[in-house]
This record gives sequence, structure tokens and C-alpha cells, in this order.
Amino acid sequence: MSGALSNIYNNVSFALHLHTDAMANLQEQVSTGSRINRISDDPAAAYRVLGLNTNVKSLENYIDNLSEVISILELSSTIIEDIKSNFTETQVRITQITSGIYDEAARKRTAEGINDILEQTVSLANMKHMDQYLFGGTDTGSAPYTVERTDGKITRVTYQGSFENRDIEVAPGIESSAFYIGDNIFRTNDRSAPVLIGDTGSKAGTGTSSVHGGVWLTVTGSAGNYNLSIDDGLSTFNTDGTDTNLAVTDSRTGEVLYVDTTEIAGTGVDLVSIPGTYDIFNTLIIIRDILENEKGLSDAQVREQLNHLPSLFEETDKLLVQSEVSIGSKIGFLDNLKNSLKDIQYNTEDEATRLQEADIAQIAIDLSRREVLYQMSLSVAAKLMSMSLLDFLQ
Amino acid sequence: MDSFSIGISGLEAAQRAFDIIGNNVANAATDGYHRQRIELRPAYSSQVGAVLLGGGVDVVGITRLIDGLLEREILRQGSLLGQVSQEFATLQTVENTFGEFLEGSGLSGAIDNFFNALQDLSAHPTEVIWQHQIVTAAKTMAGQFRTLGEFLVELKSQIELEAKNTIEQINILTNRIAELNDSIEKHEISGGQDNNLRDLRDQCIKELSSLVSIETQTRQYGVIDVYLAGTPVAIGASAIDLETGFREDGKLGISIAGVNNFNINVQGGQLGGLLSLRNELVSDIHDTLDDLATAMIQQINQYHVQGVGSTGSFTELTGWLVTSEVLGDFAPPITSGSVFIRVTDTTVPGTTTITRHEIDIANDLPADPTLSDFADYITNNITGLSASVISSKLHIQADTNYKFDFLPAVLPEPEPLDINFNGSSDPTVSVSGIYTGSSNDTFTFSVSGTGNVGVDTLTLTVIDGASNTIDTINIGSGYAVGDKIDVGDTGIKISLSIGDLVDGDSFSIDVFADTDTSGVLAAVGINTFFSGSSAINIAVCSDIAATPGRVTSALGADMTDNANALRMAGLRDQTVTSLNSMTPGEFYRQMVTDIGQQLFVRQARKDNIESMVQNLGNQQSEISGVNINDEAAQMLVFEQMFKGMSKYLSTIQTLLLSLMEII
Repeated sequence: MSGALSNIYNNVSFALHLHTDAMANLQEQVSTGSRINRISDDPAAAYRVLGLNTNVKSLENYIDNLSEVISILELSSTIIEDIKSNFTETQVRITQITSGIYDEAARKRTAEGINDILEQTVSLANMKHMDQYLFGGTDTGSAPYTVERTDGKITRVTYQGSFENRDIEVAPGIESSAFYIGDNIFRTNDRSAPVLIGDTGSKAGTGTSSVHGGVWLTVTGSAGNYNLSIDDGLSTFNTDGTDTNLAVTDSRTGEVLYVDTTEIAGTGVDLVSIPGTYDIFNTLIIIRDILENEKGLSDAQVREQLNHLPSLFEETDKLLVQSEVSIGSKIGFLDNLKNSLKDIQYNTEDEATRLQEADIAQIAIDLSRREVLYQMSLSVAAKLMSMSLLDFLQ
Repeated sequence: MDSFSIGISGLEAAQRAFDIIGNNVANAATDGYHRQRIELRPAYSSQVGAVLLGGGVDVVGITRLIDGLLEREILRQGSLLGQVSQEFATLQTVENTFGEFLEGSGLSGAIDNFFNALQDLSAHPTEVIWQHQIVTAAKTMAGQFRTLGEFLVELKSQIELEAKNTIEQINILTNRIAELNDSIEKHEISGGQDNNLRDLRDQCIKELSSLVSIETQTRQYGVIDVYLAGTPVAIGASAIDLETGFREDGKLGISIAGVNNFNINVQGGQLGGLLSLRNELVSDIHDTLDDLATAMIQQINQYHVQGVGSTGSFTELTGWLVTSEVLGDFAPPITSGSVFIRVTDTTVPGTTTITRHEIDIANDLPADPTLSDFADYITNNITGLSASVISSKLHIQADTNYKFDFLPAVLPEPEPLDINFNGSSDPTVSVSGIYTGSSNDTFTFSVSGTGNVGVDTLTLTVIDGASNTIDTINIGSGYAVGDKIDVGDTGIKISLSIGDLVDGDSFSIDVFADTDTSGVLAAVGINTFFSGSSAINIAVCSDIAATPGRVTSALGADMTDNANALRMAGLRDQTVTSLNSMTPGEFYRQMVTDIGQQLFVRQARKDNIESMVQNLGNQQSEISGVNINDEAAQMLVFEQMFKGMSKYLSTIQTLLLSLMEII
């Protein structure tokens, strides 16, 4: 090693520059708490950290979506619970009626109560959450159920929401519906052959009827020339009593009831019940109408129809329980999923932090080492500069 | 007299030595100075008999203490350091501008936020707040792209300017070297060595080597010729000026001034670094960023054009400005495929008629079609719509009581021409649902059995365009008319009304996964989300920014679904061929990690070369540096020599005086 002046200067400058850079780097790590403050600090780790940060953000989003879906489902479940509670109350009242405790006036009062329950049920089915209808499928912007009224009373409740689920991605590759299709929730879809309750002698035809729930079949005319209607006379279908499969269509909905007319023995109004197709509203309307007896049926006919109601209750109750269980189990699944995602998020954040976090103890040691080296560089340089043969020259 | 000559020669030699020592000490801190040494030789005087007598001392020269090989290595390493330092400094600026790992900045976060906002939109497709959120997130992301794009463009232009300035410095240095060569040659041709000029010239060469890698060739009389990338730039007393310029491929190079033959293979030094940055490193980063921006624009637009937002179908749409109206000139060229336009006609009160019209680019338009041909076809063939090209922008306009869109939703009923029913009372077929397949198809439904729907034994066999059976559906006894039936797993549902069918009856429906197989809509900016084509000009389309309800979240006929928002959000996890089969996020991470990796490698190289240069400098100092102690020791030697010679002359003088006294 030469003792040239420039050599000493260069060595000191180089060493000080080296130590200053290293100390600045350590200072940055300490002040930010991160050993990676830019990608070039550790490209491989930085690539992983960036990926993990993306995952964390994505998981946060999924968890937010999940929370929202769960919240919507919980509200939906509460509404179904309320409807079920109303329905149980209806069931109690009807049991009392069919037990013969109440007279006709009492039946009418009960009908009024059921009408109130119907109004409430429609209102619940049209419930909104954050300005979005809960039971309209993808169509969350308009009320899923519309009602038709006669003399202020609901005579028909029609589902006009969407038949498509709004699927929301709640985890990578997992989609869940938040907004149920009301028609799937509040109506059974296990069609059986129609059951005709009445005295006209009409029977179910061989065709597959498309009418839902309960409808009133009105038979007018006389032997050999009967007129059948299922839309309160808006349209009639004539038969001479030989049709085994007469298609009687509801002009308002286009739904069809196939009737075997061969055994029609008289006129009147029959209740046509199609098990497996009831919806909650139709059930309440039919019950109310039976109790009100607006068709002017005999007491025996009313009682016969009332006797049919337990099977209706059973079907509707089963539907509501199924919906509740379905939503409940979905909430359970989504809750578990949310917890899993939170765990994954925690682990991901933890991994990112571990990769990025500065080792403060190591930094302190490194800083101390650099400080000593820095000072030594200065001291040695000062020594070298101060010693010279010139001092000994005379 | 010899004695006096000997004495005088000794005094002179000592004095020259003192001069050199003084010069050495005076230049101890001068850059590029090489210490000098006096060269002494015993002087021959006379022969007396058999005795050969010395004649004192001759100063034969003054030499620089220099190691040629070492100096060359220092030049070489200096060049490398110059290049690496330049690349390092610029890449560091690039890395800092990309700003990953800085709180609240970085394109990576903006891309994440954009896709998360799309996912949020899919959960709330009709809510204004989420529509605004996606527009804001997209604007932020586009803004980040533009900031980075503009920075890279500006950086390239700064590099070009800096290269030009560097070339000017190089020209100044080569001219100075040539001048010094001339002076050195003139001085040394008559003998001797002009060390100080040589040092000055060598210092210029050293400075030149930090600007660019050079080769040197030493000639007679101390002349050094300098070559730069094989081009002689200083030959003896002549210098050749260089200039920067662009080759046809857009790469920056250097050429002899006025020759316009640009060489891009220039290595080393600041200039080598600048050219490497301009032609490769920064350009590659810029290209990669552009690739990502382009892919984002194309991928999002490709889906966006087909959907509708909460504002529903359109009454008019205007595309963006196209540079060429010839479809074949678009990038990529449009020569085939179709556009399917869905038109909703409400001219008859209470009646809504929906029709779909196909524009087959290859068959419906003339050869080498233009945008005007496309517009004319719409005007002439689609009732209720007119189109024109105004100021190189496609404009589609619906007549009163008409609307249009490009939804892939199935038509509510099969087209009359696609129905072949032969019963006495035809049932009505209703179609709904959102097709989940990946390519456009035609489903044909064939009736087996004869009789009434919902009554007799009737089935429908569904086959796709490739004659694969998708499903067999019961529509006879057991089917309640009006009930919707799923067609396999296609997402499509059909229902039939009451009626009778005959064995062999059939109908078909078209199902769509893509209503713009030609790519025309995305290429001309009709119903697109993003405008622009690269990082520097990507932006959210102005009509979307003004009306966030235009963000197309729905694909279904009732326009309330979130299928398109889900599809666009799904792009986050989809690999894109143009992005080396990576997802946009992965591609960007790879890109910024590459920048960091290059910086990391250059940091290591720079540290290595700096250490090497430091060691070489030390080695050079050992040989050529001025050591004050050394010089002081030399001074002692020559001081003693001077004193000795003075005493000698004094003694000779005394002897002569004594001799004179005898006389």
C-alpha cells in the first residue's frame, strides 16, 4: 500500500462513503420498520410481498362481501321467521275454527285477521335492505310482489321479480346468492295432481295442469251444457259433459286446469287445490276466502274445505322451514368461510410482515459496527496525515 | 577544468532533481498527475592512458512513473463504472417513480383497487355509489398508468438530450486530445519527453473513458490515437466529431457528424449507459407498461361493449376518433367476425318487439371495408337505427321509440323463421336465462311424439351446432305449461304454452357468448369503458365518467343482473396471452420486480467495480502517486549531494588558489 497523498485521501473518502451509505440504509430501515423499502432491496422477497399484499386486499374485499351477504341472509331469515310466526298464528286460529269452537261471525272475524296477516306477509316479502329488495333475485330495484285488490282486499299476489340469482363472488371461485328469488322461497315446486273439493262432480283431467295453489272452479249451466271457469267467469269453457280432459284456462295468467267433465252432476263452485304448488300468499288468500265464504257455499261445503286446510298448512309450513333451514345452513357455511378467509388473511398479512419487517436488533448491531468503522477510518486517516518525514527536515 | 565540470554537473543535476521534487510535491493533489523521476547517468570525460576518467553526471531525462497496463485497466474499469453508474442512477429514478412499497401509491395497489371495485359493483350493480366507486378506481388506475407512461416518455427524451450533451463533451475531449497530441509530438520530435502535457492528455483520455468505452493506440513521439466503437475519433492531431441520432427502428445511436450512419452498439461509460437505457432498459419497461395498459383496455372493453348498465339500452352512441377508417388498418386488423345488434322497438304502444341483427364483416360489407361501409350497412339494413361517421368517429343513432344494445341475451322467443310447427294450435315458446357457454351457438329443439303440450307423450331433444345432444326435455304429460325448464347446464330456460305438436316439429334459438366476434365495437370505441391504446393515453371514456350508470354490469335481458360485472371482475384472475400468459397483477408485479432485480444487480456490479477501481487506484498511487515522505527522502539525498558538490567545488577552488599562490 502506497503512502501517496492521493491514496490516503481516496481510501478515506471511499471508506466514509461506504459507511455513510450503509448507515443511511440502516437508518431508513429503522425509521420505516421495514427492511424492504423498495423492490431492489430484496427483489425476490418484494415480489412475494407485492403478491401477498394483493391477496390481502382481495381477501378484505371478499370478507366485506361475505359480511354483506351474511347480513342480507340474516335479514332474509328474520323475515321468513316472522312470516312463519304469522303463519303459525293463522294455523292456531284455523285449528280453533275446524274444532267447531267458532260460528260464522267468528269465522269472518278470523278471516279479517288473516287478511291483516296477508297484508303483513306481502309487506315482509317486499322488504328492502339498503334500498335493495331482498326477494327479487337480480331485480333488486323493484318490489318483487305486486298485488291485485278487489274492494280493498288482496285477491292475487304475483311475483314479478327476476328468476335469476344474483351471485356474488365471496371467495376465490365461490359464488353465493345474496338475494333470493322470492318465487323459489315462498312457493313449493313439487306439483301433484289437482284435488277438487266440492259438489259439482268435476274431476282432475289427465293433462298436467299449470294452475298454482288453490283456484275456484265455477261450474254453471245445465246438464249437457256446462260452462267452466277458473277466473271468476272472465272466460268460460263449454262442455257437453263428455270431455275427459277439458283445458280450462285462466285468462289473466294463461294457467290451465285440465278437468274431467264426465261426472259433472251439477253447478256450483269447487275448490281446486294443487298440492305442491302453493305459495304463502295463495294459501292465506284461500284460507281467508273459505272463512269469508264469499262464494256462498253451504256450511258442509265450507267445513269440507276447512278440513282440507291442514294439508295446506303442512305444505306451507314445510316450505318455510325448508327456506329457513336452507338460509340458515347457508349463513353457517358463509360464516365458516368468513372465518377461514380471516384466518388466511391473518396468515397472509403475517407472512408479508415477516418478509418485510426490519430486524431492529440486527440493525442496532450493524449500526454500531458501522459507527466504529467510520470513526476508525477518520482516526487512522488523521494519524497518517499528521505523520510526515517533513517534520524531521531542518 | 574537468573538476569544475564535474562539480557543476553535480550541482545542476541536484538542482534539476530539486525542481522535479518540487513539481511532484506541488502536484501531489493534481488529478492525473504521475510523479516524475530524474534520470542520471555518469558522464564520460576523457581517457588518460589506460585510465578512463568520469566526467561528472548527466541528466539524461525526466521520466513519468507509469504502468501502461494498469492505466489501461483503470480506463476500462472506469468505462464500466460509468455505464453501470448511469444505468443504476436512472433505474433508481424509475423504481422510485413506480413507487411500490410507498404508502398509498403504486400501480399495483391501483390495479387491485380497480378489480376490487368491479367485484363490489358485481354485488351492487344498480347502486349509484358503487358505480361511482368503479369509475373513481378506474380513473385512479388510468391516472397512474398515464403518470408512469408520461414519466417514461419524458425520461427517454431526457436520456436523448443527455446523450447529445455527452457527445458534445466527447467531441470537446477528443479535440483537446488531438491538440495535446499535436503539442506533445512537436515537443518530443526534437527529443525529450513532455510529461506534464502527457499527463494532461492522459487525464483527458481518462475523462473520455468515463464517458464512453475507448481503445487507445500509442504511437511515436508520445502520440496516442483514440478509437470509439471502432471509429477513430482522435488520430494524432486530428479529431472527428460525433453526433447522436435515431436509426430507422427508432433506436438511438451515434455517428460521425453528417454521415448519418448510426451505431447503437456503443458500450461503456456514461454514453454506453445512456444508449443502453434508451434502447433497451427504459424502452423495455415502457413497452411492458404499454402491453399491460393495452391488455387492460382490450380485456375490459371486450366485455364492456356487450353489456348494459343501470341506464339500460342506448338511444345513441359515439365512438372515438380513429386514425384510419379502413377496418383492415385497425390494430389488430378487422377482416372477419360479426357484430350482433339487439334492437328494441316500442313504436306500437304496449308492445315491445326485440330483434337481433348480425353484421358479418366478411360477407355483408364490401371488400376492404371502411367504417363508413359499416355505418351504411346499419342505416340501410336495421330498421330503427341509423349510423354515420362524423369526424372519423362512428355514431349510431336510434329512431324515436327504438333503442339498441349489444347484449348477448337470448331473444324472448325463437325467430319465426326458426320455428317449424305443424300442429293445429301452435304453442308459444318463451326463452330466458343467461347463456353460460364460451362460444356462440345454435340450439335446435326437435319434438318427439305427437299431441298436446302437458298432456300427451312429448319430448324435446336439444342439440347444439356441433350436433351434440345437450338435453332431452319432457314437455308432455307431467309438464305444466308455462313452467320454465332448464336446457342442460347452459343457463338457458324455455317454457311452452298450451298447444299441440307433431313428431318432427322443431325450433331453434341462437345463444351468444360474444356479440362482437369481429372486435369492431372495441376498436372504434362504441360502448367501451376505457379509451386510449397505451399507458400514456389510457382513460375512462368521458361518457362513462359523466354517467357512471353506463358501466355495463348486466348481460341478461332484464338488465338487472351482474353477469358482466362478475365477468370483468374475473379478469383479475384470468391469464392473458399478450401478457406472457400471466394475469394483469402478476404481469405488473413481474415487471416492477424485474426493475428492482436489474437495480439490485447493478448495485452489486457498481459496488464491485467501485472496489476494483479503488484498488486499481491504490495500485496506481503506489507507482505514480506522490508520496511526500518519498519526496522528502529524495530531497535529503539531493540536498546532501548539492552540499557535497558545493564542498567539492570549494575544495577545488581552494586547491587552485593554493596553486596560484605558488606561482
